[in-house]
Amino acid sequence: MFRNTYDSDNTVFSPQGRLHQVEYALEAVKQGSAAVGLRSKTHSILLALKRSTGELASYQQKMFRIDDHVGIAIAGLTSDARVLSNFMRQQAMSSKMAFNRPVPVNRLVSAIADKAQVNTQEYGRRPYGVGFLVIGRDQSGPHLYEFSPSGNSYEYYAMSIGARSQSAKTYLEKHYESFADCSLEDLIKHGLHALRETLQQDKDLNVNNTSIGIVGAPSAHEKTTNVSFRILEGETIQPFLDTMVPKDAPAAAPAPPASADEDVQMAE
Amino acid sequence: MDHFPTNWGRPRNDGFDAYGTYPIAQRPYNGLGNDVFSEGVQRTQQPIVTGTSVLAIKYKDGVMMSADNLASYGSLARFKDVQRLHPVGNNTIIGAGGDMSDFQYIQALLDDLMVEEFTEQDGHALGPGEIHEYLSQVMYARRSKMDPLWNSLIVGGVQDGKRFLSYVDLLGTTYSASTLATGYGSYIAQPLLRKAVEGNEDVITEEEAVKILEQSMKVLFYRDARSLNKYQIAKITGDGVAISESRSVDTHWSFADGIRGYGAQTQ
Amino acid sequence: MTSIGTGYDLSASTYSPDGRIFQVEYANKAVENSGQDLSHSTAIGLRVKDGIILAVEKLVHSKLLIPEANRRIQTLDRHLGLATAGLLADGRQLANRARDESANFRDSFRSPAPVKYIADRLGSYIQVYTLYSSVRPFGISTIIGGVDQNGPSLFVIEPSGVFFGYHGAAVGKGRQLAKTELEKLKLSDLSMRQAVLEAARIIYLVHDDSKEKTFELEMSWVGNDTNGLHVPVPKDLLSEAEQKAKAALEDFE
Repeated sequence: MFRNTYDSDNTVFSPQGRLHQVEYALEAVKQGSAAVGLRSKTHSILLALKRSTGELASYQQKMFRIDDHVGIAIAGLTSDARVLSNFMRQQAMSSKMAFNRPVPVNRLVSAIADKAQVNTQEYGRRPYGVGFLVIGRDQSGPHLYEFSPSGNSYEYYAMSIGARSQSAKTYLEKHYESFADCSLEDLIKHGLHALRETLQQDKDLNVNNTSIGIVGAPSAHEKTTNVSFRILEGETIQPFLDTMVPKDAPAAAPAPPASADEDVQMAE
Repeated sequence: MDHFPTNWGRPRNDGFDAYGTYPIAQRPYNGLGNDVFSEGVQRTQQPIVTGTSVLAIKYKDGVMMSADNLASYGSLARFKDVQRLHPVGNNTIIGAGGDMSDFQYIQALLDDLMVEEFTEQDGHALGPGEIHEYLSQVMYARRSKMDPLWNSLIVGGVQDGKRFLSYVDLLGTTYSASTLATGYGSYIAQPLLRKAVEGNEDVITEEEAVKILEQSMKVLFYRDARSLNKYQIAKITGDGVAISESRSVDTHWSFADGIRGYGAQTQ
Repeated sequence: MTSIGTGYDLSASTYSPDGRIFQVEYANKAVENSGQDLSHSTAIGLRVKDGIILAVEKLVHSKLLIPEANRRIQTLDRHLGLATAGLLADGRQLANRARDESANFRDSFRSPAPVKYIADRLGSYIQVYTLYSSVRPFGISTIIGGVDQNGPSLFVIEPSGVFFGYHGAAVGKGRQLAKTELEKLKLSDLSMRQAVLEAARIIYLVHDDSKEKTFELEMSWVGNDTNGLHVPVPKDLLSEAEQKAKAALEDFE
């Protein structure tokens, strides 16, 4: 059973010049829980929604550190993400080895994009089923990129990927002009509000289901002087959650336990 | 008895079928290149066409370097118009002593690297620090293969408003200082440079820096039999790199008359 | 379309009974309207007396994109530039291959590769992707331009691998209108600066305001004005060109 004749193989163009397998891979990204990225003049940040399969299971990791100055948030097939993030780490290390230079973030993103392109053109492979938001800081300042399985990468002021990311995007498009001059706290607040848009009506962000990734000088809420990429999880993000404006729905119940998370689960 | 005259007089080789017991098609080849050393690989054992000292100092506005234009073939002054100072990008210069063909290979290597960097068009450029790290990795990798690039290199430049000056040689050894010299210059010029520069890096003007190098080049020309009184001076400042035309210093050899082994020998 | 459902259009290694290779024809469709990256845009190249100008109509699919950060014209070597219409990622893949070709030429001969040599090598490379069922053809039309020992030259490579030299080239969705405009110019008489203004005007003209999203004009040049380096057109000249293009468009309408 196929939707059409031209969609079972990544080496076949449809008569309209489309690559259906690539388009389906983009759908795989939308199966994953959402991630949001934002950029100011001084910081780049990531926020992601973690899922767990049940009360006894831990939450699926959504963010990975690549190097001191680069980190990613993923949506889609986690195993594909691990392959690509290992590759990114190798690239980062080889730049350090050969030039004693932190790899420029755009080149890191282009490297995985070029890798992904091959999987859209040659037989016997499938396109990667994962999208990334990549943040990092290099000579030219803080950056935010999106990588997608089609082999494209773009630099954005702010972006979201994953399930119901369109809602987050709508929020970001409404507010992005103010991000450049935001403090880190305000930027995270905007990020949390955008991420919250991707939740179902009765859900809310809490310390268990939210990850925050940061590059840039630490916030007052952090007990660190670290300016390199770090992931905040658990109790450390409570102060940031507290800055959020509560949803205006009066019946906003406190965040339910993880077991009640009914988000679509991906087939792994 | 070996019935094949072409094999007579060659080193004995037990792998050789002396009595022709094999059909011709399978007969072990016993010509040159199949003796006990045939598996051996010869590596570079010595430099061939060589350049001598490179001098470099930090001064107020940046880094200044000098090297003469001679490439020697043994003791023969073979090429007198060789440039041993080479710009890499807009804020780096490398100076090379040692084997000149290896240096030309290094220039090609760096040119490829700079083209790669240029094609990215993303505003990230390689500065002297990155170039020096790259060269040190190349030099160390080659010496670890027992196949070194036979050079001593000095990398100088300005990066993020800071002066950079560092050395790397055929062993992959690196070090940094506010005065550097390679080859004969490391014995003869280095003490002079240190005396003039150390502690004064931030006050020496361009004119003074040129004087210091001129003086050292002159001493080297008097003392180093592989040197030439024709040299260039390069400066790297925040504004970029500049390599001078070839120049010379005034020298006086009248004193040499009475010294045996210095001037022309009359007896 | 008669090709659909015949089974002769599922592989690049299959001819149809009338001798066509449909997969290559579909690749040409991808050049005009690629579904995934919304890059159904136009690219043009101008070969003038002292150099080459490349220009693309870069469609902006989101206002969250950082202006000027996502470049579509790529640099292959000091003296070579490349612009594509079609699948963006295919264009990057081809550019990487072109950089390798150019670097290999440099290593062999210690001199910059002639533009025609690179166009020839890339044409052959692309052609190989039209031979086998295990790969798909490139979904891009490519303009490659540069200045070598023989002066400026400009080539277009199609998904079939065929390539031709041009004085003025246009690929992608708006290529017909762009070609008509290019034909009106006395290209060999233009200076590089004049050509930049004309290129901007043509891109603004072919952009279909009614149907398409907003766009960004991206231009690069290589020639006497740039010391033989392929670099982006400087900001002040770019904005001057944009201004004049907009003014010309109003006169046109």
